[in-house]
Amino acid sequence: MSSRWIETRRDIFEALGRLPAALFLSWSDTKARYKRSMLGPFWLTLGTAIGVGGLGFVWSTLFKMDKATFIPLLTVGLILWGFIAGIVTESSQLFIQNAQLIRNLRIPLFFYPIKLILRHLINLAHNAIVILIVFLIYPPDWHWGAWLVIPGFFLVVLNLSWMSLFIGMFAARYRDTETAIANFMPLLFFMSPVLFKAEQLGVGSWIVWLNPFSYFISIVRDPLLGHPSPDFVWPVAIVMAILGWAVTLVMFNSRRTRIPYWI
Amino acid sequence: MAHLVFENVSVRYPIYNARAQSLRHQFMRIATGGKIAAEAGHTVAVTALNEVSFEFKSGDAIGLVGHNGAGKSTLLRTMAGIYTQDSGRIIREGRIATVLEIGSGMDPELSGYENILRMGMLMGMSLKEARSKIPEIEEFTELGDFLNLPVRTYSSGMSMRLMFAVGTSFQPEILLVDEMFGTGDAGFQEKAKARMHDLIANAEIFVFASHDHAMLGSLCSRVYELKHGKMNHLPDFHVKTLEQPES
Repeated sequence: MSSRWIETRRDIFEALGRLPAALFLSWSDTKARYKRSMLGPFWLTLGTAIGVGGLGFVWSTLFKMDKATFIPLLTVGLILWGFIAGIVTESSQLFIQNAQLIRNLRIPLFFYPIKLILRHLINLAHNAIVILIVFLIYPPDWHWGAWLVIPGFFLVVLNLSWMSLFIGMFAARYRDTETAIANFMPLLFFMSPVLFKAEQLGVGSWIVWLNPFSYFISIVRDPLLGHPSPDFVWPVAIVMAILGWAVTLVMFNSRRTRIPYWI
Repeated sequence: MAHLVFENVSVRYPIYNARAQSLRHQFMRIATGGKIAAEAGHTVAVTALNEVSFEFKSGDAIGLVGHNGAGKSTLLRTMAGIYTQDSGRIIREGRIATVLEIGSGMDPELSGYENILRMGMLMGMSLKEARSKIPEIEEFTELGDFLNLPVRTYSSGMSMRLMFAVGTSFQPEILLVDEMFGTGDAGFQEKAKARMHDLIANAEIFVFASHDHAMLGSLCSRVYELKHGKMNHLPDFHVKTLEQPES
């Protein structure tokens, strides 16, 4: 094994070992952001509740959809989209934003994607309150398949972690990445089954499955709402995680030591 | 036992201009076979360290001098393992602490206390360890009630007190300090000196880059000059500084 690879592996494992520190820091980042506001991080919850409430009632009326199916669908979809899009978009700033830290302290570089994902998990936990409330109003009919939400969510986080590292590195080297991502995200939003179910597109539903984020939403939302995901969703997400991590590891291994110079 | 050895270490450092950082130009370069947009991928490589060798052992207090851009900060970052050498071998034994740039790792919105915990954890302490350092840091910084205020209200001298106190609080075995003492007042400089003397007395390694010759003279036992990526020992540094009247 080459010494470079040993160093790369050490970077990743050391970063994982610093999980408590990452959690503490992402919590203190969240607190810092809402400092001097009365509701604190619960502004997130409130914001999501307002968004979901407004959109849910307007669209269910507009598209003449049954509120009991549409509102839970929209709520979970929007919140998951916020989680995914937040990580992907902010990853383009991952190393650039932390430039000062990277240049001054020896911290494993994989620490930064971990910290970013944890911060978004904290946000997600605040937003989950809205899901809970919606489920109280419109109880989903769960069956035994609902437990799949746990491995499903884990698989999504596994995928998002390679994406975050990959985008972070790429964006540190090529500065257009950030703008490119910011411009593509709205398109991907309309290509994800947030406002609709993929089946509703009929023959055209393949467009939705071109978008990698559709799989993430489907894999978590379907069991939560009590219906099975399409058969191909799990295999695609697993293959994506394996291939994505393989490519990212090769890139991280060969370019890791250049990151402090790029930023 | 702390130990820091460089064997023929070279560091080259790419400087990317706006074009090299543009994805469009990279595509152009590939698409046109690199002829039309030949300039696009043009990056300047600066050789910051050129085959540098030295050996620092416990108890060494090293001073680094050199004009701006001579590579002092690059050398300190390479010592810390932040920058990786292109060639050569580095042996590091001992916990390393860096006090390089003011404010790194601090969140201006959070209070001094919260920042102590943040920085401590960034340096690899557990929350419990970081908490246990608070009384000592309170005492060393003399910031009193200011520690309850957000760091954005601090002057640069106050931030530096806090950084230095946290940076040196976990008994580093190798302490790397970049010129930053200029912002501290006389009282703090005395305290900082005392703390660094303690560290040296505990047989640790201390490397200090500065333009302040008087300070280097009083803190460091050996002084090197960095010039064109090479490190040269200045054996008569102390003699010279003593001859000059203090400015």
